[in-house]
Amino acid sequence: MATNVIMPALEMAQETGKVVHWLKRAGDSVQKGEPLVEIETDKVTVEIEAPASGVLRDVSANEGDVVPVGQTIALILAPSEAGVARAAATVMPAASAAATGAVPMAPAAAAASGGASAGAVKASPLARKIAEQHGVDLARVKTASGRVEKADVLAYVEGQKASPSSGNGRAARLAPASPKARRLAAERGVDLGAVRGSGPGGAVLALDVPTTPRPAMAAPATPRVGAPTVGTVWRIMAERMTTSWTTAPHFYLVREVNVSRLASWLERARQQTGAHITYTDLLVKLVAAALAQHPRVNASWKDGAIVQNTDINIGLAVAIDDGLVVPVIHRADTLGLAQLAARREDIVSRAQAGKLRPADIQGGGFTISNLGMYGVDAFNAIVNPPQAAILAVGRIADRVVALNGQPAVRPTLVLTLSCDHRALDGARGAQFLGALAELVEEPLALLV
Amino acid sequence: MAERELTYGEAVKEAIAEEMRRDPRVFLIGEDVAEAGHPFKTLTGLVQEFGTDRIVDTPISEPGYAGIGVGAAMTGMRPIVDVMFGDFITLTMDQMVNQAAKVHYMSGGKIKVPIVFRTTLGATRRSAAQHSQSLHAWVSHIPGLKVALPSGPYEAKGLMKTAIRDDSPVVIFEDKMMYRVKGPVPADDYTIPFGVAEVKRAGTDITIVATSSMVGVALGAANLLEAAGISAEVIDPRTTWPLDKQTLIESAKKTSRAIVVDEGYERYGVTAEIASVIAEGAFYHLDAPVKRIGAMDVPVPFSPVLEDLTVPTEKSVAEAAKVLCRKA
Repeated sequence: MATNVIMPALEMAQETGKVVHWLKRAGDSVQKGEPLVEIETDKVTVEIEAPASGVLRDVSANEGDVVPVGQTIALILAPSEAGVARAAATVMPAASAAATGAVPMAPAAAAASGGASAGAVKASPLARKIAEQHGVDLARVKTASGRVEKADVLAYVEGQKASPSSGNGRAARLAPASPKARRLAAERGVDLGAVRGSGPGGAVLALDVPTTPRPAMAAPATPRVGAPTVGTVWRIMAERMTTSWTTAPHFYLVREVNVSRLASWLERARQQTGAHITYTDLLVKLVAAALAQHPRVNASWKDGAIVQNTDINIGLAVAIDDGLVVPVIHRADTLGLAQLAARREDIVSRAQAGKLRPADIQGGGFTISNLGMYGVDAFNAIVNPPQAAILAVGRIADRVVALNGQPAVRPTLVLTLSCDHRALDGARGAQFLGALAELVEEPLALLV
Repeated sequence: MAERELTYGEAVKEAIAEEMRRDPRVFLIGEDVAEAGHPFKTLTGLVQEFGTDRIVDTPISEPGYAGIGVGAAMTGMRPIVDVMFGDFITLTMDQMVNQAAKVHYMSGGKIKVPIVFRTTLGATRRSAAQHSQSLHAWVSHIPGLKVALPSGPYEAKGLMKTAIRDDSPVVIFEDKMMYRVKGPVPADDYTIPFGVAEVKRAGTDITIVATSSMVGVALGAANLLEAAGISAEVIDPRTTWPLDKQTLIESAKKTSRAIVVDEGYERYGVTAEIASVIAEGAFYHLDAPVKRIGAMDVPVPFSPVLEDLTVPTEKSVAEAAKVLCRKA
């Protein structure tokens, strides 16, 4: 049973999705749940998992294609049905094909192996001679009359030629393809063995070769020896950060805040809930409240207009081995601290395990990036497009501050807000950061 | 004013007459060419204008008058040697192949042989096996000979005039079935350059290279194919040597498929040569094997029913094209 791979709807109003990159090629075997293809909407790029286990076939959407939601973009054939197709398409390197050659068997060996059984078979002398020449075991030649004649042997030989896969030890040949198809496949980096041909005898014709060349980034022509290979996550990060840095004019607002009250709140919350609540959870809660007060920050610059988000969905920048991902805590303003902590633990652990689902990374309206655990005092983050702002959180440390005209030591934290100047101006950003700073310094304000 | 139309035969005669008026060294020699005006009536009236000194009837001896022609050309004349049926060029092979084609080279360029062998090809005239062959591949094989295959009245005049003015030996094959075909022929003094193919019809899906009367067959096939949703490009090389390889290859690169249609025998023929040129030049652009369609490899039958089966037709060419385009 073939399973359809369809273009998913990742967002409410999404009509089409773009195939960014196939992580598997036609002909590859895939496991259910394995990342299959990267789909891009105007907001996010996500990996879509294989809906079933089997062999990927009939990939109809090429990289770069924009496809309507719900359309089938590939099939996954169950291992049983795929096995047959796969065997037929198997390509052997030319060298080994040449080495094994087209000679079915050495004549001597054939005569020896055929001798025992052939003796009992009724056959004309000519048929016997031809069978010997072709290394055919007469016992395997089927006839209507029971007596093997010349034509029967020749038909058997032809039949063997026609189905090379059935021949014992017969070498697999180059996949049949027109010269043009072969050239196009080479130019586009397509494995001809994985393409289903529509030509005579299943030959691959030009039309059968997927049209879109693979992005150069995915397949560097000459990778440097020893250079780390770039994974999908890293590539997406590189592309999105480049987009942001080159299209969104950034500005930065910095505030140092006193976190004495935040620390006591954290202690209280842990005691009350018994949950493993972190400063990040508190910040998510506070940022959600600040965004509720200043909805203009929860917005995007899109096609010459500012589009405000309806929900407060806060992304957390999570470092994983492959790069950076930003899973989202949806409707963070509606969640209690214990729920926030549970959600955070869930998405962070799944991010690190590479098991994020499309829903986990879509819909973010604001991002928090915390490098405090690395001892960073403060940093300027790059806005995560298409969002308007990102909050960079440094470490909590005892710092000297002026208190009533006297130097005093207090635990503080530096918050840096990076803003896309197309969606926000300095005053609006400052107002939001001010509200957030007040909440951090006096979390009780949440209650008002 | 409507364009002037001539038959293929009239166009040939006009070309010869114009060239004979223009250049007194041009004369025509052959069997039944003077008073009879040629068995195909293509030369009627020429002897009245130019006299028997320039329109020379000979005994039935192709080797003899072909030799006279070569000698005359070597000594400064510009003869047109008329070989009634293309089948008879087998009798003139030494004169054409070993003499005319070689003299310029073997004399170190001192002697030119500006001779035109005018002969015919084409079956379906019910003329049986010795008068129906298309043997232009024989001479196309020989370095030193140029070979022209006019596909219509316009080409018949233009190519003949070019042949007469060329300083090398030229063999020009007229399709004997086309003599009554009419078409626009300018009254002007025009020539058609050798080695320049003409795209008779532009298309995108398949290239049909056709020679002589097969050009008409190919154009008919293209019409059939258009109805089937296949856009065929039809190319007339006009000369098999010199051969406009570039045009053929470029077209095949564009369409990815090619058929070569020629009325010579298919095996070891003009179709094979042109198909090979295309396969070599456009290999990495081809999406199907280059298909040859020539005359059936049999002595041409006298039986009309059988004879008609031996030559390519619009339908057979269209069917082959559909197979190559995967639309059969």
